[in-house]
Amino acid sequence: MAENFEQHSDISAADLARLNQEAQAEATPSTAKIIWNEFKADKPAMAALIIVVGFIVFVMIGALFINTPKMMETNIMDYFDKPFTAGFWLGADSGGRSVAKQLIVGSRNSIGIAIGLTVISSTFGIAWGLISGYFSGYIDWGMQRVYDFMMMLPMTMMIIVLVTIIPHYNSVSLTFIFSIFYWEGTSRLIRSRTLAETQKDYVAASKTSGTNHWKIIFKEIMPNISSLIIVDCTLSFAENIGVETGLSYLGFGLPNQTPSLGTMIANANDPSNITLYWWTWLPAALEIVVLCLSISYIGQVLRRAADASQRQGAAD
Amino acid sequence: MSLIEIKDLKVHYPIRSGFWNRVTDSVKAVDGITFNIEAGETYGLVGESGSGKSTTGKSVVGLEKVTSGSILYNGKDITKKENRRKLDYNRDVQMIFQDSLSSLNPRKRIEDIIAEPLRNFEHLSKDDEKLRVLQLLNIVGLDADALYKYPHQFSGGQRQRIGVARAVATNPKLIIADEPVSALDLSVQAQVLNFMKKIQREFGISYLFISHDLGVVRHMCNNIAIMNRGRLVEIGTREDIYNHPLHIYTKRLLAAIPETNVNQRAAHRASRLAVEKIYEDQQSKYYDEDGMAYPLVQVSPTHSVALPEAIAKQLASQEGEVQA
Ligand SMILES: Nc1ncnc2c1ncn2[C@@H]1O[C@H](COP(=O)(O)OP(=O)(O)OP(=O)(O)O)[C@@H](O)[C@H]1O
Ligand SMILES: [Mg+2]
Repeated sequence: MAENFEQHSDISAADLARLNQEAQAEATPSTAKIIWNEFKADKPAMAALIIVVGFIVFVMIGALFINTPKMMETNIMDYFDKPFTAGFWLGADSGGRSVAKQLIVGSRNSIGIAIGLTVISSTFGIAWGLISGYFSGYIDWGMQRVYDFMMMLPMTMMIIVLVTIIPHYNSVSLTFIFSIFYWEGTSRLIRSRTLAETQKDYVAASKTSGTNHWKIIFKEIMPNISSLIIVDCTLSFAENIGVETGLSYLGFGLPNQTPSLGTMIANANDPSNITLYWWTWLPAALEIVVLCLSISYIGQVLRRAADASQRQGAAD
Repeated sequence: MSLIEIKDLKVHYPIRSGFWNRVTDSVKAVDGITFNIEAGETYGLVGESGSGKSTTGKSVVGLEKVTSGSILYNGKDITKKENRRKLDYNRDVQMIFQDSLSSLNPRKRIEDIIAEPLRNFEHLSKDDEKLRVLQLLNIVGLDADALYKYPHQFSGGQRQRIGVARAVATNPKLIIADEPVSALDLSVQAQVLNFMKKIQREFGISYLFISHDLGVVRHMCNNIAIMNRGRLVEIGTREDIYNHPLHIYTKRLLAAIPETNVNQRAAHRASRLAVEKIYEDQQSKYYDEDGMAYPLVQVSPTHSVALPEAIAKQLASQEGEVQA
């Protein structure tokens, strides 16, 4: 059969290398390059990116040098030390513990949980939505009933109950508990786009080309909704920082001896802390505001990069 | 034996409604059609929008779940999934889609698009595969620098060529061409049709050529079936359909071909209005009480029309055709 093609085309094996090189010169830039150009064109977004990435790297590494149990020891001598006193750059709290060090370890814990939660729940939600939307029919019907059931459960209450029942939980088990309840939104969003995408002829063309369902779902359809996925992941990451923080603030998140942004903000529960000892809670609160704003700004840029008509960056 | 034998094919889409989401009715997109496609020929399937042409085409490549009837290929009924798999059916039967933009994955480069059937059916080495893709691009008249570009960087005509290259990649025996040129302007239409014919000659491919335009079909097809609301109303050779049309629906489609000769515009318009008037007045003669087409009856060895036997004979003798 190969002869058949040789006969009717004037291209032969000898031309392969040359033609390939010509084509390479004409190739279009990759998605990563387009996103990078978009950041370069938008200075505030670049600043947001540097803040977020820099901060995450800083706390991840910084926390390694801090001995958490020792840091959490009560030290009456330093009771509510003011900021900028010797050894307490951001002051100390009611236990005489360094706010700066707690902030580093706490951020590591909170951000770590948020990242873990985003990875697990988004992966699951994306797969659920893609499979449900692609197959439609009975599979879709069954998967959507599971979704409905999960949505029916009162989420915060369930988490609190689970956290109370499980005796020794830590950040890892907490991440998994959160994940059970945070994949639904993503899955619905992805499913509705998948339903529309599956109707397009390129999916039919892949079927007639002999490609199997799983490859079509994850290699053909998923890249086409990647912009939606990227934006959704970024925004849920911002949201997920709030999830752990909120629960720890209420006292149902991480245990007391494990600092987190939530436990630090909980210092504001005490009226005298709010006005007199502001340094115990304000840094953590500011950090959350700055992080969440920066992340959603990054999300907007990613969305723009994904949508060719809104791009600001140069084409190459 | 014909290449493809379609027997009493029906595709009905259920309509669900009500609280229990039960099937209350169905859309009869294809409602009992029968025809054969011979090896090496181009078979025309013509009808207005919504008549069920695409649904028929998709059933033949195995994309549509058929309600009843059979499609025989090499004596095997390929409406069954396991038969399609055993035969590697889509290696032999491919499709060119109506909408060239939506049929090419916007996130894939041309190389990967054209190589997709090769990767699944032929398992060539990397270099052989790339060479084959370059040859295919060359055959459909595109430059090698298309290789690493994305579909949106091409014009409609070029995209349809890419669609053709993908369909031809595994050297199939039959290609379903679903209105391959209806989205293109006239000069590009002619180019694409010409190289489709060239490919047919060189590779010995059969086409099922779907169109709503009898003007385009005339240059491509030896045999033609006219489709109306899910049923066939007339089957015949090109000669039968263009020179001795019997069904009023066929006559309407013929009258709708645009007249390019300016001097005859007025005459053309008059004849179109006349056909339209007959169509309005004589609905009951050409369709049964439910407004559906009658079963086909043969009026000559090549020509069949969906009319009651007596009327068909009478019309045929008026047209001066040889009786079967
Ligand atoms: N998935 C579906 N569900 C329900 N009805 C459908 C579906 N696909 C097609 N139909 C209906 O079946 C009929 C035939 O559709 P089909 O696409 O085959 O028409 P067509 O002849 O190809 O028209 P066109 O020339 O516009 O492409 C239409 O009335 C359409 O509404
Ligand atoms: Mg169609």
